[in-house]
Amino acid sequence: MALPDDKELESILGDGVDLTTFKQILEMDEPGDNEFSTSIVFGFFEQAEETFERMDVALDEKDLEKLSELGHFLKGSSATLGLIKVRDGCEKIQRYGKQENLDGSPEPDADVCLARVKEALMAVKSDYEEVEIGLKKFYDKDDEDEDGA
Amino acid sequence: MAEQIPSKIWVMRPKASATQIRIRPGDLVDDVRDEILRKYGNSLGKTFDSPDLTLRIQASEETQNKQRTRTLGPEEDIIKTLNAYYPSGQTVKEALVIEIPRNSTTPKPSPRAPAPYSGSASATYYAEDGRPSETSEGYFPTVTGNTSSPRLAMAVPTQSSGSIPHSMTVISSGQLPPIPSPGGTRRHYRSRHSHSRTHSSSSEHIVSHSSSLPKSPGHEITSSARMGTPPPQRLSSPRLPSSRPNKKGKRSQQQQQQDYHHTPTPSILTATVPPINVLIVEDNPINLKLLEAFVKRLKVRWDTAMNGSDAVKKWRHGGFHLVLMDIQLPGMNGLEATREIRRLERLNNIGVSTAPDGIPETTPTEELTEQDRLRDIDKFKSPVIIVALTASSLQSDRHEALASGCNDFLTKPVNFVWLERKVMEWGCMQALIDFEGWRMWKELSAKAESIAAANKRALAFKNKTKKNRPIMSAS
Repeated sequence: MALPDDKELESILGDGVDLTTFKQILEMDEPGDNEFSTSIVFGFFEQAEETFERMDVALDEKDLEKLSELGHFLKGSSATLGLIKVRDGCEKIQRYGKQENLDGSPEPDADVCLARVKEALMAVKSDYEEVEIGLKKFYDKDDEDEDGA
Repeated sequence: MAEQIPSKIWVMRPKASATQIRIRPGDLVDDVRDEILRKYGNSLGKTFDSPDLTLRIQASEETQNKQRTRTLGPEEDIIKTLNAYYPSGQTVKEALVIEIPRNSTTPKPSPRAPAPYSGSASATYYAEDGRPSETSEGYFPTVTGNTSSPRLAMAVPTQSSGSIPHSMTVISSGQLPPIPSPGGTRRHYRSRHSHSRTHSSSSEHIVSHSSSLPKSPGHEITSSARMGTPPPQRLSSPRLPSSRPNKKGKRSQQQQQQDYHHTPTPSILTATVPPINVLIVEDNPINLKLLEAFVKRLKVRWDTAMNGSDAVKKWRHGGFHLVLMDIQLPGMNGLEATREIRRLERLNNIGVSTAPDGIPETTPTEELTEQDRLRDIDKFKSPVIIVALTASSLQSDRHEALASGCNDFLTKPVNFVWLERKVMEWGCMQALIDFEGWRMWKELSAKAESIAAANKRALAFKNKTKKNRPIMSAS
């Protein structure tokens, strides 16, 4: 399938995806299929959902360190895919988990941090769902294109 | 309010997270832009001049009578403006939005470019030493007198201008600055160019290894490694050319910014990358998979490690030319792993005939223990090149990476064009150091390739002729 143009991509994927970065991954596909990018993207879905679950557990256990670590972990892959909103949300969790404010200054109150993580986690989950829908739509559409062709 | 003491204000790139920069009472928007270029020394500072930037302010709910959002003029007093908009103080959500010129290929003055009139009140503050200068390359050299305001430099073009050196990467990125440079800066461009590396708009090289080869022709190695880098060619993938250019439609600023580095240099996924052996160290399986797929396309050999100690272990087997090292890793992190590798290299005298005299060496006291001895010492021709993959674009993090013994770095998410350049540049260098090994490998692979090609051809023309002609052109 040919790469859809940016406008089309943007309308499908929404503003939570940085097209330049995401297209890098599409360009790794062999001409004619997007097996590779599909495996990356759906692998990410799996990883994200798993990480969110682990974040929920860590939140229950008030384990800020773990939360920070998980935030960093998911930040890495979301950044790689260009999922900028998810990336930013993860960065927040990483920071709050480290008991820092967003500008890097220390925040000694652990309860404040936990509350912030909780809030950020909720936001990042909904940002994630949004891009998940967009990406799934994108790959569904491709299948249709191929069927039609 | 904070009229007397220096204070901080929030700024952000579109869709990015906000950050604080320091301002002083009386600072104008123009000064704020200068400060922003310092803070974003990498992503903006290398590409833009401060007059290129515009700042957008968003009115909070309580000040409905004003325009909801507007662009700040360069002559506005930043503290007064912010106080007017946010009487109770600016919050992170109200960060000023930094905008860069939308169409960077058309050199036309931004409509909001500052008028070239004198604003001497703001001109000298750089001479004060109150601000940290994180940028090692000296985007803002300590200039005394009044050349530090870009506005002034434009007004007085005959002055030797030390104020816009950061725009010079424009040359390497092939883009014209959106605002005509003042006369007299061209010469400056040239001289600055010598230490802005053509091939790495993304980051700076610290070629510690080549500079530490005084006896072997270190300089030649570096320069020929660079000369060996062919000019960008077209990507082999057929759909790219159509997907890359002509995308000047609606895009977010951020994407444009990334394109800025991305588009002018089409990728070069050809077989020109030397046959080096790369160790990829990355803890996130998704990222690892992508990097693997990428180096696979470069046709280099590779191996992977998912944490620092694993990386050291694999490195100890020998034979690696290049390590792509993620910094934040579970357990032993990338910096610790790098330090460990460098320690072992030192103890085992790897590359010692070309002794590091640039690096202050003060610990010859440490004895080589059996535990630290590298088994296949023949496989370690020279110190391995370590390219750090950092998630943050903070200059301080990069310095830390370099201080730990990394040779270079890339910011994540890794741009594949840059990554390829790094593999190419450092790979060429390593191939030259291990020239014999490289030549043998090359001959072998050429032979293998020509056999493979010949077989293929034989197969394709099976019906016509059985003659198996070796293809000599395969290089």
